[in-house]
Amino acid sequence: MNRQVSSAIGVAIVIGIFFGLSGCMHYEPIERENINSNKATKGLFIMNEGNFRSGNASLSYYDPDSMKVENYVFLRTNGIKLGDVAQSMTIRDSLGYLVVNNSGIIFVINVNTFQLVGTIRGLVSPRYIHFLSDEKAYVTDLYSYFISVINPKEFKITKRINVRVNGKDQPSTEQMVQYKNFIFTNCWSYDNKILVIDTQTDSVVDYIEVGIQPTSLVIDKYNKIWTITDGGYEGSPYGHTAPALYRIDAETRKIEQTFNFELGESGSEICMNGTRDTLYFINKHIWRMAATSDKLPDKPFLENPTTNHWYGLTVNPYNSDVYLADAIDYTQPGRIYRYNVHGELLDQFEVGIIPGAFCFK
Amino acid sequence: MKRTILAVGQLFLTLLTAPAQTPDIGYDLDVVTVSGRKLSEMGTTRTQLDSSALRENVIHSMADVLAQNTSIFIKSYGRGTLATASFRGTAPSHTQVQWNGMAVNSPMLGMVDFSLIPSYFIDNATVYHGAGSVGVTGGGLGGAITLETEAPKQRGFNLNFIQGISSFDTYDEFLHLTYGTDRFQTSTRFCFVTSDNDFKYRNFDKIGEDNELYPIERNKNCEFQDWHLMQEFFYKKDDRNRFGLSAWFMNSQRGIPMLSVDYRDENRSKDLQGEKTLRVVGNWKHTTDRIVMETRVGYTYSDMLYRLWNDLGTEELSESLHAASKIHTGYGSYEIQYTPSEKWYITGSVSAYLHAVKSRNKTANDTIKEGYYHTRVETSLYASVRYRPHPRIGLGVDLREESYGDKVTPPIPAAFVDFTLWPKYDIALKGSFTRNYRYPSMNDLYFQPGGNDSLQTEKGYTYEGGVTFGIHRKKFAFTGEGTAYNSVFRDWILWMPKGENKGYWTPCNVKKVHSYGVELQGKLAVQLAPKWNLYMDAHWAWTRSLNMDDPKGWTDGSIGKQLVYIPEFSSSITGRISWKSWSFSYKYHHYSERYTTSSNEKAYRLYYIGPYYMSDIYLEKSLSLRFADLSLKVCVYNLFNEDYVSVLSRPMAKRNYSLFIGITPKWGRKK
Repeated sequence: MNRQVSSAIGVAIVIGIFFGLSGCMHYEPIERENINSNKATKGLFIMNEGNFRSGNASLSYYDPDSMKVENYVFLRTNGIKLGDVAQSMTIRDSLGYLVVNNSGIIFVINVNTFQLVGTIRGLVSPRYIHFLSDEKAYVTDLYSYFISVINPKEFKITKRINVRVNGKDQPSTEQMVQYKNFIFTNCWSYDNKILVIDTQTDSVVDYIEVGIQPTSLVIDKYNKIWTITDGGYEGSPYGHTAPALYRIDAETRKIEQTFNFELGESGSEICMNGTRDTLYFINKHIWRMAATSDKLPDKPFLENPTTNHWYGLTVNPYNSDVYLADAIDYTQPGRIYRYNVHGELLDQFEVGIIPGAFCFK
Repeated sequence: MKRTILAVGQLFLTLLTAPAQTPDIGYDLDVVTVSGRKLSEMGTTRTQLDSSALRENVIHSMADVLAQNTSIFIKSYGRGTLATASFRGTAPSHTQVQWNGMAVNSPMLGMVDFSLIPSYFIDNATVYHGAGSVGVTGGGLGGAITLETEAPKQRGFNLNFIQGISSFDTYDEFLHLTYGTDRFQTSTRFCFVTSDNDFKYRNFDKIGEDNELYPIERNKNCEFQDWHLMQEFFYKKDDRNRFGLSAWFMNSQRGIPMLSVDYRDENRSKDLQGEKTLRVVGNWKHTTDRIVMETRVGYTYSDMLYRLWNDLGTEELSESLHAASKIHTGYGSYEIQYTPSEKWYITGSVSAYLHAVKSRNKTANDTIKEGYYHTRVETSLYASVRYRPHPRIGLGVDLREESYGDKVTPPIPAAFVDFTLWPKYDIALKGSFTRNYRYPSMNDLYFQPGGNDSLQTEKGYTYEGGVTFGIHRKKFAFTGEGTAYNSVFRDWILWMPKGENKGYWTPCNVKKVHSYGVELQGKLAVQLAPKWNLYMDAHWAWTRSLNMDDPKGWTDGSIGKQLVYIPEFSSSITGRISWKSWSFSYKYHHYSERYTTSSNEKAYRLYYIGPYYMSDIYLEKSLSLRFADLSLKVCVYNLFNEDYVSVLSRPMAKRNYSLFIGITPKWGRKK
């Protein structure tokens, strides 16, 4: 073969590969959409946590009247991801405050258009937000020594409240309820306390000790605070005990009654109905009991027939429909089941990965 | 830094004024060899990684080499980050790796981080697909990889130094010193890399502080600094007895890059990961006419530390998490190979490991400490017989038995058959079967929180068959191989959230996985004309790895779906053309889309990674000066300047560059 020809063939082959095989990866911005919720409808937002360190959290919106769900509304409207571990959402007026834990940010959106109107930055590992007024809100944190005080109008941190008590350097402050001018917050991770913060002085003034790892917190119409513990886990250096449900008087800050579960069970997601006289919680199944009851119910409100563990729970404050979240295998879009107060299934729909928190409009 | 630039400048001047003696680059025909299969290799599917793959680029780790030259999928999000292997759609812990006969897989994690193995520290690497791994070790449900070093062949003192300068303030140094006589050889290798790795990218996931959509950002908390030192001694007492001692120490300090959706200030939140590992292995090989015996002893020490630092509101960084683990491993093995005749080949081996693992996690200010300390003995007993009843037919049977702690896995058998159809073109059919078991890692069993000491061993059946061919002419060599396989795995270990408790995960024997596919590979070398050489190496794989477990309720959409992060199609091609002392290489790499959900959703960019097409080019010039051989190499990576991710929310670098200058002095060999 002629040397020049053969050389040229070789070069041509390489160049052919060079251009023939190359493709384009098309990693581009997401096309934004205009999605509107029915302004008059008391819709339900679902915060889908997503997988830790994957940045695939998402926001879903469900219209209970039309029984339609719109998934990924934050991404589709704003063209950016919601972030890593969507923890909670709170609505104040027409603004929704989306707390994204491992992104260290709170997104503020218009709850009717889902459009972003602001961000609150400078947070470490934010968990929940609680409004004291139009100009003041508290943000709890998993890692920080402090609760951040923010100005929701200016989207700025204005102050930090030191929450270190009794040699416990790093309480993981979680959910918050308010009684008079006091905020109560449960410390979940390797802790057993409910801190009491005076909102006038922005300082921790007291704490209540409960069982190991109180997971959630509500206050009923009788000014009784309820918390439920998960009891830790076997081998935990912090201990492993039977979980329990606690009723605490908000005025005296004393535990009035403890409702014990079996060792190995795990309680979570305590929430109230609209009239705040009935509480619901997860302990494998969904349980319901009157706030005045002095014993645990004998039978669950909803029995979980699967091996899946239900991950989220809420009650519609307007009609007491119950919504529960099934994360299935935690690596696929989860599913929401909607029941009426009689435990009859009304609807079900798919949402994002690990639906964990709810917020009614 | 200044010194480095000065040194590079001096080398450039030297090159420009160098005499015009230029060594040819004409080695490609040698690397595409066709040889009759050894009895020990009958029926197996193996990929031998030759020097052209291992010595392609000094910045390459074994992760890059495996991704580019085999059908193994490497999951990584850039240089200086964790790189794990998925072999035939299996998990990273299903690929067993050995270095000079001693296991590299972490007894704690079960897997290997291939980014921590510089390819220039390995002289021979062999990938054993499926059933072929039983001859190496048990538990290779996907396969096994052996990495070996060898005694330097050159006599006297020799030195090779390579200086690399790359984008993002990345500096690589590699030094190889050897000394050899007929009886004694020593080899010292050292490499050092430091990088800011802070490439710029447009962040399509984020809104900037000034509300700018998709801001240009830098990769954050991503600096890394690794160094490795390997010292080896080889002694040939006589023709029958050889001794070797290899010691390899590595120290790696790496930031874990922040997610593209992390809004925290880089100075207020840091993830840091460090690892120091020492591996030492010594061997004595005794050879007689028909028997080869090899005894090895070894020791591994690994010290890993993960730290998360946050500004907890005090305007200074405090340690929020501190996870430390220390692993001591003692190792011993004995192997005997007996070849009574050309028709028979019999092997037996026994190996044992003693692991002591201490894992400790603590939160800020030592408020909570937890972890575990456990020791475990692992043993493996192996016997193998190969028989060639006819020159064209080979048969083989392997049997392995393993134990961990006080438990014993069921016997691991493997069977092989090999039939040469057309010797002229080396066309042969092959087939194999194995039933393999992999026992849980120590984290699977004991990690706090979540360890599950009631875990069962993972089980797998694999059947495979294939064809090989080879054409070898004076100026032309072409070899190829195609393999189809079918595997079923049960009791696959998967970490899942522990019940309603949102705090931690636990491993369970949950999945049944059906994996099947086709692997094709080929090599071509042509001498186009005097001084002109063309070389091509291509790999293509079709991999289906499906979850066939019982559904978790009727809404479970994961059944029959591809496992997460496993591409269905992957391919790679290396094309190289060389002329005299010049060489130009083009490397192309493709993965089809990868799902990150078990139900294979494709919701926008949240749940899947789009197809990956990567092109790199290398241009190399060699020079022979009076006092030394020099090489100059320029590399362009991500040639088409693509924005992309390989793992969710982990940005990758756009087009970037490297320049390498290598020098090999001709001490006492001046021409």
